[in-house]
This record gives sequence, structure tokens and C-alpha cells, in this order.
Amino acid sequence: MNTPGYNFIPAPLWLISSLHVLTLTLHFVAMNFLFGGLLVILFGRLDDKWNNTVVRRFISLFPTAMAATVTLGVAPLLFLQLAYHRQAYAASIVSGWWWLLIIGAVMVAYYLLYGAAFARTRTRIPLLLGLAAVLLAYVSFVYSTVFSMAERPDLYHTLYAANRSGTAVNPEVGVWGFRWLHMLSGTVTVGAFFVGLLGRGDEKVYRLGRGFFLWGMAASVVLGIAYLMSLGDTLVPMMRSPAMWLILVALVLSLLSLHFYFRRRFLPAGVVLFVSLLSMVIVRHILRLIVLNGKWEPSSIPVKPQWSVFVIFLVCFLAAIGVVAWMLKAYFGDRARANQANA
Amino acid sequence: MSYPFWDVGVGYGVLMAAIAIIHVFVSHFAIGGGLYLVIAETAARRDNDTRRLDHIASLSKFFILVTVVFGALTGVGIWFIIGLLNPAATEVLIHNFVWGWAIEWTFFIVEICAAILYYYGWKFMSAKNHLAIGWIYFVAAWLSLAVIDGILSFMLTPGGWLKTGDFWQGFLNPTYFSSLVFRTGICVMLAGLYSMLVASRERDPEFRGRLVRYDALWALAGIAILVPSWFWFRGSIPADVTASVAQRLPMPSASVAVGLRFLVALTVLVLVFGLMIPRRMHVVVALVMMVLGLGFFSGFEFMRESTRKPYVIYGFMYGNGVEVSKAPEYQSAGMLPSIEFRSGDDGADLFNHACRSCHTINGYKPLAPVFNGTDARFIFGVVTGIKGMHANMPPFAGNAEEAELIAGYIWKHVDQRPFEQVYPLTGAELGHKVYEVRCGRCHVPGGYQDNMQSLAGLQDDDINEILDNGSDYDESMPNFTGSDAERAALITWIKSLPAGGAK
Repeated sequence: MNTPGYNFIPAPLWLISSLHVLTLTLHFVAMNFLFGGLLVILFGRLDDKWNNTVVRRFISLFPTAMAATVTLGVAPLLFLQLAYHRQAYAASIVSGWWWLLIIGAVMVAYYLLYGAAFARTRTRIPLLLGLAAVLLAYVSFVYSTVFSMAERPDLYHTLYAANRSGTAVNPEVGVWGFRWLHMLSGTVTVGAFFVGLLGRGDEKVYRLGRGFFLWGMAASVVLGIAYLMSLGDTLVPMMRSPAMWLILVALVLSLLSLHFYFRRRFLPAGVVLFVSLLSMVIVRHILRLIVLNGKWEPSSIPVKPQWSVFVIFLVCFLAAIGVVAWMLKAYFGDRARANQANA
Repeated sequence: MSYPFWDVGVGYGVLMAAIAIIHVFVSHFAIGGGLYLVIAETAARRDNDTRRLDHIASLSKFFILVTVVFGALTGVGIWFIIGLLNPAATEVLIHNFVWGWAIEWTFFIVEICAAILYYYGWKFMSAKNHLAIGWIYFVAAWLSLAVIDGILSFMLTPGGWLKTGDFWQGFLNPTYFSSLVFRTGICVMLAGLYSMLVASRERDPEFRGRLVRYDALWALAGIAILVPSWFWFRGSIPADVTASVAQRLPMPSASVAVGLRFLVALTVLVLVFGLMIPRRMHVVVALVMMVLGLGFFSGFEFMRESTRKPYVIYGFMYGNGVEVSKAPEYQSAGMLPSIEFRSGDDGADLFNHACRSCHTINGYKPLAPVFNGTDARFIFGVVTGIKGMHANMPPFAGNAEEAELIAGYIWKHVDQRPFEQVYPLTGAELGHKVYEVRCGRCHVPGGYQDNMQSLAGLQDDDINEILDNGSDYDESMPNFTGSDAERAALITWIKSLPAGGAK
């Protein structure tokens, strides 16, 4: 019987990979604003913190940041499942319950953030934000352990043979531990950037952001090196790949971002930080290919382009950017006019 | 077969339904609600009705909390759960329709952004810009439905895709447009019903009456769209599909029958309480209407899902993830060599991959009540002769040796006491039970493959001859493997049948 195949990708791999990397970077920006900002605000020392105007503004933005994080997280997972479906599904099934609980955790965290944003009594805000931070930490933990597992087919085969109920957790702490901590410290770094950016008119808030930005970046570098060292046999091919140059680029750009940030030049600091983040996402992508080398080769998947649909996607994507830009312009324009009228 | 099987204690159907039902309700409400908000706002602004504007603004707060959070995350939840429960089918869908999903994602971005700005913009935005954002929200949300509908309806009626594999033939499949119009009607109806529920809590009878009457018109407009499109949708499903299902499964017809009763009751309530006595609308009545509306919609979804059985993608892949084209290969060479993730228990692996996506032993759609007190040979006969059963199940995609392994696995987990101990009956009553368990799954008295008429008047030897040579009558019919006590009781019951009649 001749039936349509599905072992194909509907566009060249470079295009799928590029879209994956780009959308994942955008997802990280939103996620770092949310989770990193949340951690900085929760753990940062600031007089009369919960009455501070910038902190209040930041908290009011958390639900929107959550919406952006979720929305921007859909596309990279979609493109990942296209080229690495075997690994992504298998690893998520082995940790099935933990994976599925992500939805519940995000949903509860979302409502907690709305609760904090709409809260009338400020005494409840730390509790609401604290609980939301715990849930988001859980989500980041599951993502790190599952995707670390996905890169090791032998590991998920072994884990599945021992436990088929979906309650297994990646036991190789050495593999995902530094990776997760590196992600967390990176999150704090970028979150701190946004805290300082939003608080640029308030010296105390700016200093708070600057402190976390500096030390978060230092921790991120140290943990990144520790992660590299933990790669074992993978380290050598990694050092011989373009990833090493990209790590250097990311490092230099991070320091440059720090330099601009300390000089309060936020636009170049932000642009450089974004490019640094993009570089690290590409490194992550190259590392996945190296770890999977010999076990899974996405370039071996036949390409059967669906250009007509891709063009529609591209048009819709550009139109979406235009429409969102128009809506933001209308929204902030009207708000500015309303503020002027009130003044 | 390339994926591990999630051996979870809960039935797959329960897990899927728990997330999907909520999402389907919320997502349709999100679209209709968006249209309702922007049209109601236009009317209120035109009439300079500030009280009504405040009412709509308060509606939009609940709207954003439900749709942006709950609707969006349960949507992602469906994606997560299908990847866990049926990764093979998810793989087929993603590889064929990734650009469809990517297009839907662009609408999703606009939709979420517009919903947030619409809500926060109430306080200061100009009417023109605020309404424009409201319209953008609705259009993006509806376009999102228009994309997802293509993939959903594809699973029921893949159409020309089955031959060509072409994206557009799969997307614009035979039920695409009718399903889209029907779902649009559902969106409008749900928006009216929900708004009526909120309006029923208004204390001022005059204001309540005004709101309820307006909302009732929305509900009726939705019903007016969905009734003809419902018949259009039914007519769009290829006749061979509906005929095959009607013969074997009561679920689609029952879902339709129950759903239509709900719709009739709902229409009457909307006409009476919504248009004739709107000021007397009570929150309980509004709640009942909401439940009836959702009940009708559930009937549609159950009908769609059960009509598709035994496939997950009609004609291409069975619900257990076995590709239709690969089934003959598995039936000759065996299924086990293709199962990549093995547990060491071949019977369990085969059971999981062949049966477990729909059945558990003792929980969801349990097999224990079906096989308690029987024997492994009988179970083997059922597994290999599954196509003769009064159910829409995939054929067993394995060889005879594997059927024995599955039978052994199932038998190990059911009540192995003798039949007459499991069912403490005697004489013709026991015989009737033996018939139900051992024969009635394929020969339904008064229904599917009913052969009762031919049994009436037979003597012991004739009946024994049929029981011992079942496969001579039909290759999918196993010989009788029950105990002598079961056989005697069955013969007693058959001989007690009135001439030409079933019991």
C-alpha cells in the first residue's frame, strides 16, 4: 500500500535550525526578564522594597512577561520536535509526569503573578512571588534534566528499562547540574539587566540591578566553564568546533555589555547582550549536534519543502510584527496623551 | 514503535480528555468572547452608555484571566499530552503541518498581545484605537481557529492527502469548511451564554433584562449558524466512514442524539428566559443553559472522535500508533522486532503497543470484566479475530506467536477462577452469561451479527458441532474453549430460546 511518508522536514535543515535558534533566543529574553527579574526582586536588598515604584511596575509587568515567555516558547519547541523528534519525545515520556506537570506549574505561577500584580495588600506580594519563583525553578529544572537526557539515547533507554511509569528523573547530576545552574545564573544576569534598565531613574534600583548583573555574569562564566569541564569526551570535539569561537565572542560581548551598562548606555548594552545570548544559544545547538554525533543525524532526514506554506508563514510572521508594533504604538501613544492631559 | 510507551496507571482517554475538553471550551469561548466584547463595546459607545461600558470592561478582566492564561496553557498542554500518549501520530502531524502550526503561532502572538493591550487599554485608550485592537484580537483568534481546524479535521477526513501527501489536500480536507463554520457558531453561542451568565447576576432588573436580551440574541445567532453547518459537516464525512461506524459503534449516534436534545432544550430556554422574560433571568437558569451548550458541544466532539475510530488519522494510522500500511508487515514478521523500547516482558510490551492506548486491565475501558473466568485460548481467539467484534478496533498487528504472548499476559492479570465461580449462576442463567462473555462481543442479540434465529430449535449435537468448529463458519470465530459446565449451561440457554427470537 502506498501511503504518504512523514519522515521528512518541510524545509532545509539550516532554515529549521535558524528559526529554532532565533525563536529560542527570543524565548530566553522574555523568560529571563520574568524569572531573572523575579529572583532579583525577591532576593535583592532595597529599602521599602514593596512600595518602590519601579518594583511595583516590574511586578505589574510579570504577567505580560509570562504571556510572552509562553508564546515565544512554542515555536522553538515545535522546530526542535521537527528535527529531534525521536529524542524529544522519548526523553519527555521517560520523565512523563514531571514533564506534564510543567503545564500545571506554569499555570499556577501565572495566576500567582497576576495575584501579585493586582494585589491590594502588599504584605502578600513576597509570598505570591516566592511561590511563583519556586514553580518557575521547577520548570527550568525539568527542562534542563529532560533535554540533557534527550541528548543521550543510551541514558533514556536505560532509564526506561528500569522505570516505565514516567516518574524517572535524569540521575546524571554531573550532566545537567552545571548546565542548569549556568542557565539560572544567566537568567539572573539578564533579569538584572532589565531591573537596572527599568530602574535607571532610581539610583537604588539601578545599583541593585547592576550588582546582580555583575555577579550574575561572573557566576555564569564560572558555571559555564564548569559545565564545559563536565562534558568529558565531548569537550575535545567541542573545542575543535566553531562553538569555541562563539563562546569567546559571547564572553567578550558580555563584558562589553557590562561596560556599556556601567556607563548607563542601555541600548548598546542591551543589543550586545542579546547578541551574546544568541551566540550562547548557537553554542548550545552545536553542542547538541556533537553529543548526538553518531546516534542521530538530523541532516539525514529527507527534505521535502513546502514553500507555498512557508511563504504564507513568512508573510504572517512579518505581518504579526507589524501589527504588534502598531498596537504597541497606539497603546503607548494614547497612554502618553492621557498622562499629558492628566498632568 | 520507535518510542517508549508511557505505562501510566491512568487511562489515556482520561488524561487526554482532562486537558482537551477544558481547552476546547475555553478556546472557543475566547474567540466568540472577543467578537462579543468588541461589538458590544461599539454599541455601548454609540449609545454613550457608560454603565454598559463598565460592565463590558469588567467582563474583559475575567476574559483575559481565562483565555490568556488558561486557554493558552491548556493549548500547550494538549501538545504536551499528545506527545506523551501518541508520539508517532504527533510526529506525523508535526512533520506534515509544521508550517501550519507556525502560521497559527504568528496569530497566537497577535492574539495574546491584543488581548493584553485591550484589557489594559480600557482606562486611557481612544475609542477608535481600543476598538481596533479589539477587532485585531478577534480576527487573530479566529484565524488561529481556522488553522487548527485544518489539522483537526484532517485527522478525521485526510482526503486526497492519503494519496498525494500534499499539505493543501490534507489541510483543506472534505470536512474543513463545514467544521470551521460549525465551530464559529459554537464560539458565538458560547459567548452569548457566558455573557448571559454574568448578566444574570446584575441586581437591577431593568439593566439585567436589557443585557440578557442582547446576550440571548448572540446565543441564538450562534445556534442559527451551527445547526445548518452541523448537517453540512455530517454530510461532508464520506459515506463509507459513517456507515462503517454506525454499524459497529453506538457512541457517535448516541452522542448526536444526546447533543441534539441538549440543543433543543437550550434553544427553548434561551427563547423563553432570554427573549420573553429576560428580566426574570436567574443565575441558575443561566448556568443550566451554559451546561446545555457545553453538553451539546461535547456531543459533537465525542461524535467526531468516535467516528474516527479505530484510527487516529483516518485510513493512515490506528489509534495505537500502528501505521495502516505497516500492519501486514507486522502480521507476517511480527511486531516485536519493531518495538525499539523493550521491557524484557514481551507480553507486556505487545499489550502496551497494541491495546493499552485504549484499554487497561482494571481501570479505564477495562479488559478484566471481558475476560474474567475465561482462558488464554479464548483470549487468543479474541485477539486474532478482533475484526469480527462489535467494536471499532484496529486489527491485531502481530503474528500468531505474539497473539499468544498478549493472550498470556492478559490472562495472567484477570480473574482465573472457573467461570461458574466468577459468575455464581446456574442453568440457563449461567448459559446466558457464557453467551454474553464468549459469544456476545461479536453476536449481539437483536443487533450486530445476530445469528440467534439460526440457533433456535437446534439439539445438543448441532450446537456442539457449531461450538467445536467455529472457525469453519468464519475464520475470525474461535472454537469454544470453555469448561464442560459452561458448555452445558450455554446449550441449556440456547435450547431455551423461543423459535426465531432473540432474548
